[in-house]
Amino acid sequence: MVRLITHNLLACHAKDCNTNNFPLEFKDIQLEIREAEFNSDFLKGFMPKLEWKALVDTARQLGDTSLPLEQPEMVDDGFLKSLHHVLLEIHVEEGSMTCPNCKHVYPILNGIPNMLLAEHEIG
Amino acid sequence: MPLYLLHFAQAHNDFRLPELASVAELLGISYTLPEKDEDRDPTRPYMVVELETEEHAKMLARRCILIKAAYEFYAQGPSYEVLHEANRKCEPLWRKYVEDTSFKFLVTAYSHKIPMERQRDAIETFAYMGFLGKIDMKNPEITMVCFEEYKDRTQTPRQRNEGDGDFRQIFFGRLIEEGSARPLVRHFDVKKRLFYGNTSMEAEVSLLMANQSLASSPTFRYLANPGKLVYDPFMGTGSMAYPSAHFGAMVFGSDIDGRQMRGKQQTPGVVRAASQYGLASRIMDLAVFDITRNPLRCGELFDAILTDPPYGVRAGAKRLGRKKSLPEYKKELSRQHRLAPDPEDRPYIPPTKPYELSHLVTDLVLFARYVLKPGGRLVFFLPTVTDEYEEVDVQTMLCNGMEVIANSLQDFGSWGRRLVTIKKTTAEKYYPPTFEDREMVTKDEHVPAHKDFREKYFQGFRKVEIETPQVAFREG
Repeated sequence: MVRLITHNLLACHAKDCNTNNFPLEFKDIQLEIREAEFNSDFLKGFMPKLEWKALVDTARQLGDTSLPLEQPEMVDDGFLKSLHHVLLEIHVEEGSMTCPNCKHVYPILNGIPNMLLAEHEIG
Repeated sequence: MPLYLLHFAQAHNDFRLPELASVAELLGISYTLPEKDEDRDPTRPYMVVELETEEHAKMLARRCILIKAAYEFYAQGPSYEVLHEANRKCEPLWRKYVEDTSFKFLVTAYSHKIPMERQRDAIETFAYMGFLGKIDMKNPEITMVCFEEYKDRTQTPRQRNEGDGDFRQIFFGRLIEEGSARPLVRHFDVKKRLFYGNTSMEAEVSLLMANQSLASSPTFRYLANPGKLVYDPFMGTGSMAYPSAHFGAMVFGSDIDGRQMRGKQQTPGVVRAASQYGLASRIMDLAVFDITRNPLRCGELFDAILTDPPYGVRAGAKRLGRKKSLPEYKKELSRQHRLAPDPEDRPYIPPTKPYELSHLVTDLVLFARYVLKPGGRLVFFLPTVTDEYEEVDVQTMLCNGMEVIANSLQDFGSWGRRLVTIKKTTAEKYYPPTFEDREMVTKDEHVPAHKDFREKYFQGFRKVEIETPQVAFREG
């Protein structure tokens, strides 16, 4: 787990870390590819919520170049298949995510990210 | 509109009508309940409703957890004479089965066992219907059932056959569909689950919650996925997630304490349990965080929030922070240490403080308004003290744009828990809530019965005299 769909929703939320706090940078990761059921309604419904550039950049870092740099206006089946694969089938199982701004490290253990903040990072 | 007889399970009575309303809305079915209060009394097992078509009765029976079966309604009455008179009048409904339809005829009772002899006699009284088809007890084309409804006499010892014939009402109809959602209660039985904890929600209630959320597929094919996204912010062992995923939604879960979601093996327990049901790919992700310090980048993400917040009896609610804040120099030491952690250190666990239930619930509603899509639903359990509960308690937790649409009690005696369904009725955009610590309530504010639930629970819900605060003696 930590699929890219989730990664695309998570920003650093430490106190006073409000700019350049997204996307979190993956480090020392182990990937797994797991097949997921394809659902075009789900994908289309989710597209307006995506930060496209962050998604494409992260996918490319992980070695997947199937997505276009710009979010297309018209979606076809081929595009949806690629989006499905990137969002739902790539799982980051181990490693960490680092905030580009404050450098907080969020560790990932057995596919579950620990997004808790330390005492000095909360208000 | 034609009439249908619904046979309900005698469980979670207070949930019956809300479930019917939610499922009907999900499936786009319109229905009319009986006019008289006594005919829609949820403590009675039978109810006659108006529906547009027989297909709608089937659809309800396939989706409502509390429906045991649906029948085409023919007649009812306080006695067989009245029943037969009404049944003769509705002959047009059953005439088509007279000529050549194989059939089975049952006379049965609620809260009573009718002696064989009288069952036969009762069946004989329907002889005037003149069915000519073959009697087939195994695979009949139609099944006609006559129900005698007795007063609920469970837990009252009685002689065999005592009170036979002393029924309140008789109902008669033709079986359309056995409820096929009800067996899911066994399918999701917690005891047969690969991973569960001591606070896992029982299967029947979590299924009812999933039906309240509307975030599921309106079709019945198991694999049909409507593309809905459900969130449980107090995921625990994931009991809420499996029924929602079964009904077709993707589920995201978070918890301030990851141990419940993880379990002791490498594959997280929630994923193992989901795999058992073939639903692992519908668990979108799990994450460890405190909702009051959440990393979600934006709002309006979810179609529903389905959750059972910890209420402090077996598992207390916690949020990040410290009960008493540290002196400045210690804060600085801790900060320095965090910035340059010793690699030998165990994983850092930040301090937490108790999260009082009424504050948690108010925050949950604000949080839900932020992360739900317009029209989305928040479905959660609220424990409360039975004697002190007032209707207004639920109102105290609301904010603009969030409206209560159902509120059902599961009664445990001196306390109970209410399944509250709140709908986001606004499309306005909101800033994320700040979750500031709240001050003590002022005198004018209404104090809901669920406030300090934990303390009340452990005091056995006795009324406690409020002591006047005593001045503490200072040392020295």
